[in-house]
Amino acid sequence: MVISPVHYIVAPLLAAFAIPLLSKVYKDAARVVPGIVLFYNMIISFVLMKEVSEKGFISEVIAGWQAPWGINLVLTPFTAFLATMVSVLGFAIWLYGFRFKRTLKGGVVKYYEILQMMMIAGSIGVIITGDIFNMFVFIEIVGITAYSLTAFYRERNGAEAGFKYLFIGSLASSFLLLAILIIYTQTGTLNMAQIAERMADVPLSMKFISLIFFLVALGIEAEMFPLNGWAPDAYSQAPSPTSATFAAVVSVAGVYALVRVVFTLFDVAGVHNYLIVMGFVTMLVAEIAAISQKDLKRMLAYSSVGQVGLVLIAFGIGSELAVFGAIFLMLNHAVIKSLLFMTGSYFIYNTDDKRLVAMNGIHKKLPYVSALFSIAAFAIVGFPPFSGFWSKFYILTSAADKEMIYLIVGILLVTIIELVYYLRTVGRIYFAKEEVEAAEHKPSKNALVAMTLLTAFIIVIGIYPDLITDYLHNAAMSLLDKANYIQEVLK
Amino acid sequence: MKKLIIFITVAVLTYTLAVTFKDIPFGENRIGDLNNPGTVSAYYLQKAPEDLHVSNTITAVVVNFRGFDTLGEVTVLFLAATGLASILYRKEDEEEDERITLKSSSLVRTGAKILFPLMLVLGLYVFIHGHLTPGGGFQGGAIIATGFLLMLITYKRFNTNHNVMVWLESIAGLAFVGIGLFGLFRYGSFLQNTGWTGNLNDLVSGGLIPLIYIFIGIKVGTELTNVLDILLKIKPRKN
Repeated sequence: MVISPVHYIVAPLLAAFAIPLLSKVYKDAARVVPGIVLFYNMIISFVLMKEVSEKGFISEVIAGWQAPWGINLVLTPFTAFLATMVSVLGFAIWLYGFRFKRTLKGGVVKYYEILQMMMIAGSIGVIITGDIFNMFVFIEIVGITAYSLTAFYRERNGAEAGFKYLFIGSLASSFLLLAILIIYTQTGTLNMAQIAERMADVPLSMKFISLIFFLVALGIEAEMFPLNGWAPDAYSQAPSPTSATFAAVVSVAGVYALVRVVFTLFDVAGVHNYLIVMGFVTMLVAEIAAISQKDLKRMLAYSSVGQVGLVLIAFGIGSELAVFGAIFLMLNHAVIKSLLFMTGSYFIYNTDDKRLVAMNGIHKKLPYVSALFSIAAFAIVGFPPFSGFWSKFYILTSAADKEMIYLIVGILLVTIIELVYYLRTVGRIYFAKEEVEAAEHKPSKNALVAMTLLTAFIIVIGIYPDLITDYLHNAAMSLLDKANYIQEVLK
Repeated sequence: MKKLIIFITVAVLTYTLAVTFKDIPFGENRIGDLNNPGTVSAYYLQKAPEDLHVSNTITAVVVNFRGFDTLGEVTVLFLAATGLASILYRKEDEEEDERITLKSSSLVRTGAKILFPLMLVLGLYVFIHGHLTPGGGFQGGAIIATGFLLMLITYKRFNTNHNVMVWLESIAGLAFVGIGLFGLFRYGSFLQNTGWTGNLNDLVSGGLIPLIYIFIGIKVGTELTNVLDILLKIKPRKN
């Protein structure tokens, strides 16, 4: 059997349709089967990543129709890397949440696991597809699952967050559809490579209108300011494994879609400056909001939005080094933020209180989890020797190459804000005078394995960034080389 | 003030959209030469009758050319039903809710009894003939679900067999993916159609296309029925 990119989608779909039947025979099927599928996805993503780094490009056609006519899946070093990252983190999150809601009986767990698995599969679909309408379909899949998971706990706040997300997400979908419609009427095709090829002939007004619709729609998915009002609520109300998935998987898919549209589809130069400005505003507003949060998960959510802002800045700078830094930061953000959500939710689980005050002196109850949380907090701010340092370092270097002094000063200032609230939280965990009563909920073994692996990754990459930098440089090159993308797809 | 801002925003948006869409020549023939296709639409119009032997080009596009999108859309529907069920689940200790229905008049009750089988037959007809006549799996499935809706709101004691529904839904979904995998292993491309496509306008023609549309019809019908069943059982909660 030859492994091809379509397996990424087919395996989860088969499992999702089969789980309702399987769980009639085997009670725990809903918990086990997604794990097998996500593990399989992880394996094939490593195989495919190796193949891509040898061949440079994989394009698979669906239903036997060649590239511009049918739908195709494209793996470049860039998309193969993101797909691998999403699959690995998806599996780690499954491992972490394997025993999630073990006390709940009935079909609910089944629904939860199906939705969680399809959210990850949909995000991979967004990343690997080479067709703009197919991307819309996968964004729909991610959206539908994300709305339902946000409202999964049947309570007032969850319902409100879910409804808000549903409302804004549907708006994004309609705008995206409008943008695709305009592009289709002008170019007569939906294949991204062919659209890119024909974009030069599109009238300027059409180009701008569709670009604006794309930016608004995908800006909502990528949590760009001022379109990210849904994010803090959704992150903080969703079940914890889902919050980690939002940060590690869904936001990566959103940023990827935005970047693919801006870098490959359109040839409008000013949009890069727009990304820098909006990225900076996103980052500034989010970090200022984060510092005033009293609730742990909301604080982490705002910090996520801030990181996405920095990723957008780096993509906006647009040089090879900056794009390399941006991809590195996407990786770091995904790993570190999911680790923060995983460890943080154990604090919440133990104290039954989402507020930061409840974390006072909790390291006595949960020494190991507290240590991992602190490592993650230092890593995301960018302390050496953790991996977060390198991505920020490369982004600042690339900004310095372009002599963007104010941008560097701005990023450093915002980093100080970030530093303040993360240190404050770590300080609470270790040095707070008054201590709160915490119930005893020791982390389960599988959760410990998942968290330890992610921490090990942060430290290993922090010390030996050379392990992945070569591959990331390749990925950055492949994103910037638009002519090659068009040529390889339409070959 | 707030209303004014909203009004201005909507006005600007409407104006921009109107100006843009004015320039798009809707309804004009811009397909171009069918034998030397420059747009996907020309290619589809040429290939659907010639290669696939499907007289309803839209079906060819939906099920074959862009079958992967359709698989995605079926999944969206499936996930919407799953999400709805996950939000509206009953806890173990809560008793089964009854449907909220008003007592319907004997006119409606008799009419529903006569219409229900006819609607099922119409739905079946629409998705079995998806490759020949307008309509197809999604439309046929919706018609079937409407038939069930009629019965569900008319008769309080009418119940769908939940087990059968789960089986039908899962098997239809698995069959769709399975047909796709058959293409992948047999011909090397996911969802690829068979070489044998029969004669244009025959009931059995178009290779795997009618088969896929039948499974889509079953899946859409059962899923929409499930959604309606769940929604009709919600009582306003007091808290």
